Amino acid sequence: MKVINIDQKKWTKGIDTLGSSYKLIGPVAEKDFHTFEILQQGQLPDMSFTNTRLSPKEVVFPQSEDMFVYSLDQNDEDCNILKEAPKDYSPRVVLGIRPCDARAMRLVKLNFDTEQYKDPYWLRLYEATTFVGLACDQPCATCFCTSTGCGPYHEEGLDILLAKDGDGFKAKVLTDKGRQLAEASGWTDTADDGGAFENARRAAEAGITSKVATDRLRQMDTLELYGADFWEDVSFACINCGTCTYLCPTCWCFDIQDEVHGKKGKRMRNWDSCMFPIFTVHTTGHNPRGTKLHRVRQRFMHKLKYFVDKYDQGIMCVGCGRCVQQCPVNIDIRRVCDLMNSYGSENACAAQG
Amino acid sequence: MGVEPDRLHFSWISSAESTKFVEVVTEITEKVKALGPNTHYVKKEAKVA
Amino acid sequence: MIAYTDKVRQIARRLLEDCSVEMVIGFRKGSQPMMNEPCFIKKAEDADQLVWDGNCGINLANYLTGRKEKIAVFAKGCDSRNIVTHIVENKVQRDRLVIIGVPCTGMIDKRLVASQTEGEIEAVSETGDKVVVKLKDGGSTEFDRRQVLQGNCALCVHRNPVIYDELVADLVEEQTDVDHWADIREIEAMDVEKRRRFFEDLLAPCIRCYACRNACPLCYCPTCFVDESRPQWLGKGQDQIDVHTFHFLRAFHCAGRCTDCGACQRACPVGINMRLLTKKLEKDCFELYQWEAGMALDQRPALDTYKPDDPEGFIK
Ligand code: SF4
Ligand code: SF4
Ligand code: SF4
Ligand code: SF4
Ligand code: SF4
Repeated sequence: MKVINIDQKKWTKGIDTLGSSYKLIGPVAEKDFHTFEILQQGQLPDMSFTNTRLSPKEVVFPQSEDMFVYSLDQNDEDCNILKEAPKDYSPRVVLGIRPCDARAMRLVKLNFDTEQYKDPYWLRLYEATTFVGLACDQPCATCFCTSTGCGPYHEEGLDILLAKDGDGFKAKVLTDKGRQLAEASGWTDTADDGGAFENARRAAEAGITSKVATDRLRQMDTLELYGADFWEDVSFACINCGTCTYLCPTCWCFDIQDEVHGKKGKRMRNWDSCMFPIFTVHTTGHNPRGTKLHRVRQRFMHKLKYFVDKYDQGIMCVGCGRCVQQCPVNIDIRRVCDLMNSYGSENACAAQG
Repeated sequence: MGVEPDRLHFSWISSAESTKFVEVVTEITEKVKALGPNTHYVKKEAKVA
Repeated sequence: MIAYTDKVRQIARRLLEDCSVEMVIGFRKGSQPMMNEPCFIKKAEDADQLVWDGNCGINLANYLTGRKEKIAVFAKGCDSRNIVTHIVENKVQRDRLVIIGVPCTGMIDKRLVASQTEGEIEAVSETGDKVVVKLKDGGSTEFDRRQVLQGNCALCVHRNPVIYDELVADLVEEQTDVDHWADIREIEAMDVEKRRRFFEDLLAPCIRCYACRNACPLCYCPTCFVDESRPQWLGKGQDQIDVHTFHFLRAFHCAGRCTDCGACQRACPVGINMRLLTKKLEKDCFELYQWEAGMALDQRPALDTYKPDDPEGFIK
């Protein structure tokens, strides 16, 4: 297979060159974990991370995002007119996004880019972004990407896939956007790698030991799962925080808020979470998801059943393991997925005789 | 939390103590004026991406 | 503390068998190293799911409110003080509870262990005073248990439960040689400008997931002031002022009630020590009113009583 060799010098130089035509975003070490941040001139992304504590969804779906601005000042000629908030949609590149997080963008796109509705904010940022992925050679014990239609060398959603090679990288260009970026950065040194890339992929996939079964979710009866007897046990420990959904690369819910300061105002959207009690409160005060059992069930049913049924693209989880690692009370989606996937299987076997 | 101590005053003044009230208010006004306008914990516009 | 597990199971089984309670709230083994999951047991035969070790840092008092069952709950020193606070604040009724006291020798700080370990951790076990970390690559490291305790546990002076119906083990010796307020004095000594920057740095990574609030047994309001929308007290975005307002106001709401159990800090996904805020108020309550939260059922909390000799130096 043809790959581009990028040694350390070319890497540093390429990044430096890219800085003039792209906004660079990459992993940066912060205290005891990594996050994706905008890189300053001359700053290199820290590619030694395992995975970032927060997912890079913030790159196209900021936690707080302006949608409109308005003025309430009668003397202002635009008074009472909602105007689109000025925003920067200039080309940007995310360096070192993991394949799971890139696939997550595609899953989110199913929701933000449909026949009827196109989310302009998300889509414009998505389109302005080039995704340079970094393959995972050392998956964690909590990674179960190979069970979710993804994998440590998965290419979906990426424009370029990098794999570590000594202190440099080997790169596989996957799209036109990727080609443009490779040219702009001067990463053009193509050579045949004698199958090394493929071998590394197989080794990495074999390194993922955590697996979940999802094969029966689709055929499962929704109401039966909804009424399953395990939800009380699953949800008991949950404290209804936003950790799992805020860290998750595939969670897309948001809440729209107006903020007025003096006579100027803005309409913004902020991440929201189905785990928060106020997520579904009606103006009447009624809350259809009034207990944490309802809310925990919603999170798992959305990811592992409703989404599966609606889009037929597998589960709404890429197996990044963030929620598993960071949930303060150790609610593990792998356990819940197994419970859901095997629910009623004993009875089903009995029924078949 | 980083608010200047002179910005916050507590006092106990009975409704009969008008002179004390004037004194305290004058003193507070002077102290706060000396500090100048508060620049922290004042939200002008929400900071968003 | 390993030996506690057998006793914990035994007590739970007995209480369920003789119908003294309808459910027992404790911990079961988690799927991650250094993580246990709070759980409930309703059948005596399930009691063997329960465990007790240095990874039971979540405060179980948080799971008692709003329940109708007669409950038995395992309680460390801090948990028991939060249960007292719940009883004093009429959130739970003493006669609906069986409190099983767990004399505590401190909980392990999983982030500290992870940050001091090279390589991925496969399993962590405790033997006496040692914490043994087994690595994925086959190696292992050993820590002195006291070196890897949660910050609050290392300085805890109430390790024994203050209220209980029975105990899983003999009471432990309380720590007397610790400087409980050292970190707070350091912040108090900063000048205004430096302190402001300190708090800015402290809270900068906050994503407002509210895990700290939700892990806290004190934060039981049906609608928290940050969620309230009529009137709306603060913005919901990532503006620094809104984030700070949340933290400072929440801390004030815990004044004279916080037991420094550390559940809030433990829960934070980005490792913020917001306990520094509540601890300052804990210190003030102690110095001004000689008050420590949740020590006895018959004392009214510092901020809910008036005494003629209350200090009033701040009033001019
Ligand atoms: S549900 Fe959990 S494991 Fe799945 S993508 Fe979200 S954070 Fe990752
Ligand atoms: S409903 Fe919940 S699980 Fe689904 S996307 Fe929204 S926050 Fe995530
Ligand atoms: S599952 Fe865990 S992370 Fe998610 S809301 Fe519940 S306690 Fe928080
Ligand atoms: S504020 Fe934190 S330390 Fe204090 S009682 Fe609540 S959870 Fe425990
Ligand atoms: S748990 Fe941490 S990130 Fe979440 S709201 Fe509290 S301080 Fe912020």
